[in-house]
Amino acid sequence: MRRPRLGRALPYLALLPAFVTFVLLLGYPVVLVVETSFQHMGLRELINGGVTWIGFENYQAIFANPDFIAATVRTFAFMAVNVALTIVLGMLVAVGMSRMRRSVRLFLSIAMVLAWATPALTGSVVFQWLFDSKLGVVNWALSSPGVFGDWLNHSWFETGLSTFFVISLLIVWQAIPFVAFSLFAGILSIPPELYEAAKVDGGSERQVFRFVTLPALAPLLLMLAFLSVIWDFKVFTQVWTMRQGGPDGQTVTLSIFTYITGLSQRQFGLASAISVVMVLLLLVVLIPYIRRMLRQVDA
Amino acid sequence: MSGQGAAVGGVARRRTRGVLLNGAGILVALLFAFPVYWMINTAFKPADEIQTYVPVFIPTPTLDNFAKAIAQPHFGDFVRNSVLITFTTVALALVVGFLAAATLARARIRGRRGFLVLVAVAQMAPFEALLIPFYLVVREVGLYNQLPSLVLVYFIFTLPFTIWSLRGFIAGIPADLEEAAMVDGASRVGAFMRVTLPLLAPGLVATSIFCFITAWNEYFYAFVFMTDVQNYTLPVWLASFRTAFGTDWGATMAASTLFTLPVLVFFLLVQNRMVGGLTTGAVKG
Repeated sequence: MRRPRLGRALPYLALLPAFVTFVLLLGYPVVLVVETSFQHMGLRELINGGVTWIGFENYQAIFANPDFIAATVRTFAFMAVNVALTIVLGMLVAVGMSRMRRSVRLFLSIAMVLAWATPALTGSVVFQWLFDSKLGVVNWALSSPGVFGDWLNHSWFETGLSTFFVISLLIVWQAIPFVAFSLFAGILSIPPELYEAAKVDGGSERQVFRFVTLPALAPLLLMLAFLSVIWDFKVFTQVWTMRQGGPDGQTVTLSIFTYITGLSQRQFGLASAISVVMVLLLLVVLIPYIRRMLRQVDA
Repeated sequence: MSGQGAAVGGVARRRTRGVLLNGAGILVALLFAFPVYWMINTAFKPADEIQTYVPVFIPTPTLDNFAKAIAQPHFGDFVRNSVLITFTTVALALVVGFLAAATLARARIRGRRGFLVLVAVAQMAPFEALLIPFYLVVREVGLYNQLPSLVLVYFIFTLPFTIWSLRGFIAGIPADLEEAAMVDGASRVGAFMRVTLPLLAPGLVATSIFCFITAWNEYFYAFVFMTDVQNYTLPVWLASFRTAFGTDWGATMAASTLFTLPVLVFFLLVQNRMVGGLTTGAVKG
């Protein structure tokens, strides 16, 4: 008689640890970040306790801060460039993979797995070596053909734009493999009858791509763009470890700005407000994606 | 005649394009592999082959750089911290994740759908935006600058994926086998443990490798939470290479190689599953 009752409770008992983790360990910080964003919270409050509610003052302060506006604009531009490059180049690689020789494809796949598997931090350290001004192999490679001019001792980290260029290169280098592999798998799963029908109808290769391949891949492309936006909007490790937001604050994105405000300046209320705004901005960007994805799920 | 000529021209053009395409493929492959090759290449170079303007592509291999990296103060601590944090995270996520995944895949209970939605939402949680509250909480409970604080955060990071992934693997194993065992007198849980669990080994391996890579690579939280040098993890140490090594690129690349090698090996084991896994999970999420 006792076994069935325990048996009925058992599934709930098994779910309990995960449930507690999500609701308490993850849910509480989510609540706390919103709560803190409405408080004056600095090092003094952290040590002595005591809470001062200040309404929207933190939000007013960050929107009045030109550094925050600059970081926001930078974050969006940086994200847009990275996502566009990742998707377009990933698509090119995928289409190329579907037409190249098996051996070349295998070689390319192994090379891409290497890039993909490299930890972000390792990538950042290695790229700083590749782009080192004195002994970096990139400056040598650019100088030696003699047609691009003399790049000897060229410093890649002197301006914000040039630093962003190296960071973007790193991010796109690591992001393309996943996108390319996914799209390649997508291309393989397009029914061959579609291509045959298009060929019978006399479609040129470009038309076949435009009217068969692209529409078939649309949901997947949307998915990959969606994931890339999420990843590239919040990226911290590569940007921070490359030049800590430098030179002169010119590569400070919103994640870096949150870190500096919160952990360097100990203005936890302000930093929480920035975090909340960051998530809201990301959600606004993603709304069209989410809606179209929901529509595809329903269809 | 002209039609035949066009056909011959088409074949030739196609062949040229094929050569171009395969050539481009090789070039792109070299570009992708180069940074990793250059890291390993530099790691094995003697100092005089690094301190030269014209790069050396095939080094006279030496282990000096590795010796220098390992001889760094606290190197043993960094390795121990990383290994300890990573394995505890994987174990925790696997146990808690397995319990939830098995229940979600097999038990017909009320609230199952709601729980799945909860997992999907948790998987979307923007951890970069939760740094401040996690920092405040970790300070409050006295875990700041302590290894368990990272275990806690990484466990929360990896649990949603662990549940999704394991649930998928379990759902892929037919329940009929368990029912057959139950006819033979095994209990529900006993049947699951004896029949399904052994078949689940590949799923458990793939999922734990994902958790391993996430925890092993994580830098942001480790960088913020660990203030004493002896509590650094490998990524935090590596990111401070300018302080640690100055401009000794040989030692820096040797340290990077040591840190990266386990990830490369594990990643190669599961990369087939990664492609499908990430997108399908996300679509369903």
